[in-house]
Amino acid sequence: MIRYISSRLIQSVITLFAVLTIVFMLMRLMPVEGYLGESYDKLDEIQREKIIENLGLKDPIHVQLKKFYKRVASGDLGVSIAYRPGVPVAEILKSKIPYSLGFGIASLSISIISGITLGIFMADSEGKILKRVGNIYIILINSIPAAIYYILIQFYITDIFKLPMLFYIDRPISWILPVLSLSLGTTATYALWMKRYMVDELNKDYVKLAMAKGLKRREVMKKHVFLNAFVPMIQYLPSSILFTISGSIYIESLYSIPGMGGLLVEAVQRQDNPLVEAIVLIYSSIGIIGMLAGDVLMAILDPRIKLGKREGRI
Amino acid sequence: MKKLLIFFIGVAVVLAGWNASRHNWYDREENELRMVYSGEVTTLNYLTAATANEISLAVNFVDSLVEYDRFGGIKPCLATEWNTSEDGTIWTFKIRKGVKWVTHEGKVYGKLVAQDFVDGLKYVLTSENNSRTANIVYSVIKNAKEYYNKEITDFNEIGIKALDEYTLQYTLNKPVPYFLSILNYLCFFPVKGQFLEEVGDRFGTDNRYILYNGPYVMINYEPHHRRVLEKNEYYWDKDNVYIQRITMTYNKEANVLAPEMFLRGEIDHVGIGTDIIHEWMNNPVKRNLIRPNRTNFFSYFFLFNFNPQFSEEYEPVNWLVAVNNRNFRKSIFHAMDRKSAMLTEEPYEPEKRLLNTITPRNFISAGKIDYTQLEPLSKFTNRDSFDEKLALTYKNKAIEELKGKVSFPVKILMPYNAASRQWANRVQVIEQQLEGVLGKDYIDIIIEPNPPTGFLERVRDSGKYALMELNWGADFADPETYTHPFRRDSTSSWIHMARGYEGENGYTIYENLVQRAADEVMDINKRYQLFAEAEAFLIEEAFVIPYSVGGGGYAASRINPFEISYSPFGAVSGRFKGLKLLKTPMSMDEYNLLYKQWERERSERLKGAEK
Repeated sequence: MIRYISSRLIQSVITLFAVLTIVFMLMRLMPVEGYLGESYDKLDEIQREKIIENLGLKDPIHVQLKKFYKRVASGDLGVSIAYRPGVPVAEILKSKIPYSLGFGIASLSISIISGITLGIFMADSEGKILKRVGNIYIILINSIPAAIYYILIQFYITDIFKLPMLFYIDRPISWILPVLSLSLGTTATYALWMKRYMVDELNKDYVKLAMAKGLKRREVMKKHVFLNAFVPMIQYLPSSILFTISGSIYIESLYSIPGMGGLLVEAVQRQDNPLVEAIVLIYSSIGIIGMLAGDVLMAILDPRIKLGKREGRI
Repeated sequence: MKKLLIFFIGVAVVLAGWNASRHNWYDREENELRMVYSGEVTTLNYLTAATANEISLAVNFVDSLVEYDRFGGIKPCLATEWNTSEDGTIWTFKIRKGVKWVTHEGKVYGKLVAQDFVDGLKYVLTSENNSRTANIVYSVIKNAKEYYNKEITDFNEIGIKALDEYTLQYTLNKPVPYFLSILNYLCFFPVKGQFLEEVGDRFGTDNRYILYNGPYVMINYEPHHRRVLEKNEYYWDKDNVYIQRITMTYNKEANVLAPEMFLRGEIDHVGIGTDIIHEWMNNPVKRNLIRPNRTNFFSYFFLFNFNPQFSEEYEPVNWLVAVNNRNFRKSIFHAMDRKSAMLTEEPYEPEKRLLNTITPRNFISAGKIDYTQLEPLSKFTNRDSFDEKLALTYKNKAIEELKGKVSFPVKILMPYNAASRQWANRVQVIEQQLEGVLGKDYIDIIIEPNPPTGFLERVRDSGKYALMELNWGADFADPETYTHPFRRDSTSSWIHMARGYEGENGYTIYENLVQRAADEVMDINKRYQLFAEAEAFLIEEAFVIPYSVGGGGYAASRINPFEISYSPFGAVSGRFKGLKLLKTPMSMDEYNLLYKQWERERSERLKGAEK
């Protein structure tokens, strides 16, 4: 397994290097106007030249690229040039990540617990009310655009329960709706997949055999069906946890949460090259680490899965 | 499971009920103004900032040498008195004593002295600091441009000196009649040199890294979340600061959420957009909560392009011949029903927004006469340019003159920024309306949506338009400021390339008219008269079609807009000094009454000033 992980890590570094280089080059293709900001119209030619020069954008591209690699290699994410000029990118991210992570982890926890529980009960309660309610919930959540139910919740629930419409760090009561709204969609997803995997397992011969042998249904469900159904879901868990730091564009916008949601889009729009590069670096790393961790976790939980060259790759 | 579910629901309901009975989120600190905003500032560095959002925040933290009263009159602020040399190039100011710089925690840092203005200007003129307003400084201050360009390295050679602790002197390149108005820009604001050294590159990056000598101190700043401004207890004019605390909460969806928050009493001021104005106007309760906003001094106009660089498919050569025909331009000038276009964003009182000149009304006065009422400009000011009969007369003349030289219909490319929904609506109306009046056999208007990224540089400044809506805001208190978009060195217009308007000295007739006005620096009334003649020429020859002023719209608000400083230029908008919170939102009737009262008082003030 160590050999497998090492090989994957080397591949990851190469991938990361390629992604960063592509993003770096693409950002240099953006129009000059974007670097001058909203005051573009009021600047004269001398100022425009000076600003572009001060940003280092007049250097040949290979010189800029060399400086960039050097900076990244030394662990320096650079200084924002447009989103918050003069503020180190690390400081911007440090102030935003805790919000997205906090809301993300809280909603993910709720989703995992409620979604998996709902999925189990739906798989195990053929024809019962809970199954019908669960199905209606999953269909509704998947068919109604999230933006609509997010805004309905914000308008009506806050009015009915006299809750603040926006998020305030010093008012914990204002944290509830964003977390619940965020968890609605993922709860439905977890419930749907859990139900599906459970039903798949329930139809397998070993389950029928266990039942025929006289084992209690509850015991079969708990010891065999649940565990086997849970393994495929575990693969995506590390990525889901790590990607909570990217935040939710819509929830954070609606509730005024100063998290990571929408930061990448805004950084690109403002042509804040160091900020874009730092975010891409982080997201790419998370993607790579998340996938690797998912594979490893599956191998640990399911003894049938072997990682490594001699045992065959998955 | 069922029991567990019932238990959780029960707990949630009890908690929510307890919360609702215990808290009222509508409560607030006494004398607190609460607002929601959707445009976040990128910096608090007022010496480099130039956007409206940044300016409107900074003016609450640092004062300028002079300020505007609520009628637009200049009055002392950080300068208590001033005088100018006979030739108008040296200005000397006495700095107010006892003004204190405080930190974001409200602790006194030091006293304000004349050197602070010198330090501020040095920062602005150091090109590495990327000040967006350095050009305003070096357009008037002696040797400033040379310092910015590193041709001079000794700052003592620049036209600013602290003669003593409380005496400041500026030396100008040449006499500038509007110099006092320029001092209201952030680039002339003071800064404590010692503090600059302490914080280095972090200056202005958040509320801890600036000092305050203005009416408010920013005690809390969380970008994209919240700002809290508290009255500066050490402010030299604190008796005129009435609101104790201002809480601004960021919300990207403010246009959707903020009206509802206002109705719930969670905020005190909100703009009511075009998309919901009908609903508010037709609701008897909501109708009483809204009032108009004041218009601003941004001038919007349509400009003909004499240097077409657009694609061959839109026939730039054909366009160039057509646009150089005066009757062709005049036909479009008189065929454009600007009111129809304005109805897309101001459905109730479109006339209030329309502008018949480039310089807005009430911008500046020559004695008692408003600039736009000076002859020959007044003939445009007092008449709507839309005249179908006249348009058709010019059309027939143009067809006659262009026969065999131009292929009809003439393709007119009108690009717009697709990010602006209002702009998109406007061009669609204009296309239908113009083609309706002049006929599709005469013109073929092609409206072209463009992505917002790099729009100005890629489309406007590259000449990829035939007729396009542009805008300009005043930089100083002089009609010269509205000539800038039409200058030869402007990046967006090429009217100097129009055929048949060549004047003396290799410059066009219009350029000579402007230069003649700009050269008149001693007799202000004559100067304004000459600028009015130049502007009238621009409109008469239909190089440009004036359209509207900016701002306007509607708001539900507990703010009286007539209490704050009034000025068409500089750092004035957004200042909370002088504002009092109304007990109830201002209605339309109250607004109209106060507006008339304000106009009357202003007119009396102007008459008084004239005497």
